[in-house]
Amino acid sequence: METSIKERLKEIVGPENYTDDLIDLIAYSKDATEHKHRPEAAVWPLDVNQVSKILMLANEKLFPVVPRGAGTSLAGLPVPERGGLILDMARMDKILNISIEDRLAVVQPGVVYQDLERALAPDDFCFPPDPASGAVCTLGGNVATNAGGIKGAKYGTTKDYVLALEVVLPDGRILHTGSQCMKTSSGYDLTKLFVGSEGTLGVITEITLKINPRPPLVTTSMATFDDLEDAGRAISEIMYSGILPSALEIVDQQSLKAINQNTDMNLPEVEALLVAETDGYTQEEVEFQMAKITKIFKKNNAATVRRAENEEEAAALWTARKTAYGVTARINNTLFVEDLAVPMSKVPDILRTISDLAKKYDLKIPTVGHAGDGNIHPVISFDGTSRSEVERVEKATKDLFEKVIELGGTLTGEHGIGLAKAPFMRMEHDDVAMDVMLSMKRLFDPNNILNPGKMGLEL
Amino acid sequence: MDVQYEFANKFRDQILRCSSCGFCRAICPLFGLTKRPALNARGKMLVLKEVMDGSIDLNDELVETLFQCTTCAGCAELCPSGVNVPDIIKQVRKDMVFLDSCHPVFKGMNKLLQEHTNIYGEDEPEDFERERNTPAEYVFFIGCVGSYREDEPTMATLDLLDHFRVDYTLIDEVCCSGVLEDVGYEINKNLAQKNIDLILATGAKTVITGCPFCSRTFNNKTQYDRLKQEKIKIIHISQLLKDFDPGVKTDKLVTYHDPCDLGRHCGIYEEPREIIRKIAPNFVEMRHNRANALCCGAGGGVRGAFAKNSIGMARRRLEEVEEIQAEVLLTECNSCLHNLDNAKLRAQKFKIYTTSQFINQLIESDR
Ligand SMILES: Cc1cc2nc3c(=O)[nH]c(=O)nc-3n(C[C@H](O)[C@H](O)[C@H](O)COP(=O)(O)OP(=O)(O)OC[C@H]3O[C@@H](n4cnc5c(N)ncnc54)[C@H](O)[C@@H]3O)c2cc1C
Ligand code: SF4
Ligand code: SF4
Repeated sequence: METSIKERLKEIVGPENYTDDLIDLIAYSKDATEHKHRPEAAVWPLDVNQVSKILMLANEKLFPVVPRGAGTSLAGLPVPERGGLILDMARMDKILNISIEDRLAVVQPGVVYQDLERALAPDDFCFPPDPASGAVCTLGGNVATNAGGIKGAKYGTTKDYVLALEVVLPDGRILHTGSQCMKTSSGYDLTKLFVGSEGTLGVITEITLKINPRPPLVTTSMATFDDLEDAGRAISEIMYSGILPSALEIVDQQSLKAINQNTDMNLPEVEALLVAETDGYTQEEVEFQMAKITKIFKKNNAATVRRAENEEEAAALWTARKTAYGVTARINNTLFVEDLAVPMSKVPDILRTISDLAKKYDLKIPTVGHAGDGNIHPVISFDGTSRSEVERVEKATKDLFEKVIELGGTLTGEHGIGLAKAPFMRMEHDDVAMDVMLSMKRLFDPNNILNPGKMGLEL
Repeated sequence: MDVQYEFANKFRDQILRCSSCGFCRAICPLFGLTKRPALNARGKMLVLKEVMDGSIDLNDELVETLFQCTTCAGCAELCPSGVNVPDIIKQVRKDMVFLDSCHPVFKGMNKLLQEHTNIYGEDEPEDFERERNTPAEYVFFIGCVGSYREDEPTMATLDLLDHFRVDYTLIDEVCCSGVLEDVGYEINKNLAQKNIDLILATGAKTVITGCPFCSRTFNNKTQYDRLKQEKIKIIHISQLLKDFDPGVKTDKLVTYHDPCDLGRHCGIYEEPREIIRKIAPNFVEMRHNRANALCCGAGGGVRGAFAKNSIGMARRRLEEVEEIQAEVLLTECNSCLHNLDNAKLRAQKFKIYTTSQFINQLIESDR
């Protein structure tokens, strides 16, 4: 990057919001994957006008610009693969308005998920997606990845809550999409186009989110299954039984073994463990739903079924699910948190596939997932310094995604494509779909300056 | 590449284990203040990975992140991969000092402690009008901040010990010099020996420290092993006070700041709260408390070397006091007290004390 460009950037954001120090370039070279490339400079813009000026400059001088939230992406999304400039949105972190009357919140993109939750809590409202990274990830990142979480089956994902956006386009123009109304049929749905767009179409500078009242009561239960197919049948049956659990999570045998080897939790090493949660406004309501779920657990040969009597017991039932990531992260020096989704009835098939692939390639692939919406996370912990192990992981991943597509599934349920899944895009999307996506990218970003190299959209 | 640095020999595996999840952003006081990812644990681990794989050298360019860490261990507490960043950082600093890459303030601190007996280089300690170096059941070890910067809280603590009729003596203490280990150097053996000799000479079986960091140093550093061999117990004042009933109460809304050195580093969370609950029925926790407490920004040499950010971190901690509208903020560390007090804005009406200072004040106004 030429010195004159760097000087101009400093003028736009002020020297205290500009850096090209080595330590910053290194910090911005990675997300939570192994993908890695340094940018040439980074800025912390403070308002939409600064973002607009920066993009105009980039479009004129043709350098890549990569928007970045907390860098917790699990697919290489904010890694500046072609250098250029990082646009760190973290200093645009104001909650601009919370209107309970209108059921919406207006925020800057750098607001951390949990900070919005805290601001909504006094009114018993929430923004439901609840990603596991909520303590650090930003709402801009959530919108750009269409983030989800354990509440997906009942409450959907980020896309179901974005009402309106302010977006700076690559040519510097400021676009306002959507409306502050709960519904609109006015024009193309430009808002949704930017949800999940991975920073490749525009830079989000303001977000209007629909917010939900938070049901005050929850009940939790846990069931263990000696046979994976039984667990699979239980999941399907629950999901068509007429009730919607607020969470239905699965932990597989490999995870349970890993947890037992690394903690003193002494969990039963069954083929599958399910945790279900129901929520509502009256005790009767939550009990009714939970009774149905436990009945289905039993009918499908659950080895054990436990109901939590209070908050502590509920927390105890959740520990297996919630410690799985931490335990797996400590097994070895490299971690791939995979993400895929299949039609709900195919959850047992994909879990079998994963366990077969683990055997075939001599890998450990503990798996957890949001069973209630078919979104599964195989977590591969391996020795990244061993070339042969890396190769086996790569082969297993490819086989896995071929199977996912064969089952009518999708490459990613919530983490996005980024760099990690870019090579597989054409597995899922046919030529027409890819062509339309490419045309859209060209329309918004003809010079390919915004987060280039991602999503398999080569221009 | 050959392993060249001691930090890599000792911590290679842990550093590689950092999965770059970024969860440490949630607690790192430096990140919270600056929003600069280079300064949080992930940024530091990424830099060290590049040093280990030979992409960059360990040199002055890295001082800003590797020496700017309060060693608060907030990150270590919540890290899913179990990376102990403070331990790693302390070793890295030693490697850097060896290569003569060091923040000048730390270099100065080491030199100062070769020539003087305390981190402020002042040779006239406050007298505190107490007996020194006499036989007693306990030695009360004040610490540098309590001796040279926060003498009022120290005086109040001594008054409180008198009130409870604790049989203690002061000694002609010198800096425990534990801080040198945090900033890339070794504990100064002469200073350690002087403290050991003075403590043993009193015949006391227990040392009470006013500063949790001194307590950690005496308990954990090999240079002070002699104390252990002589079966001398080292406790922090909060561990002593919890057994007394002050017999006074306040109706003010009181909150408590866990010093990193007492909380995360020693696991002492409940004793201070036990005492406070006795005197303050209106006790309320700040948003970040216990293992999750936000660091005041003073530790790891950061107050000396990066003063502006140190005060900035303290301001963020004080915002949490305002958030719950507490009238009194108590803590158990003179260093935290000093930094928080310096950071307090005039508009902020709450008061900051050490717990013993506050209890003593209640007792005095009760008289
Ligand atoms: C341990 C762990 C658990 C996780 N759990 C979940 C989970 O349960 N559910 C889930 O969905 N994800 C999860 N994730 C993944 C990650 O947290 C999400 O993808 C999150 O939405 C990313 O947010 P971020 O702020 O970190 O964005 P980043 O990682 O910084 O960026 C992600 C993408 O968003 C773009 N972007 C960021 N801000 C803007 C903006 N203002 N305008 C335009 N583009 C922008 C970037 O260019 C990039 O393409 C997890 C990650 C980790 C490490
Ligand atoms: S929390 Fe631990 S593993 Fe995650 S980025 Fe920080 S140091 Fe690395
Ligand atoms: S020890 Fe504290 S200051 Fe240092 S990196 Fe960890 S959280 Fe940040």
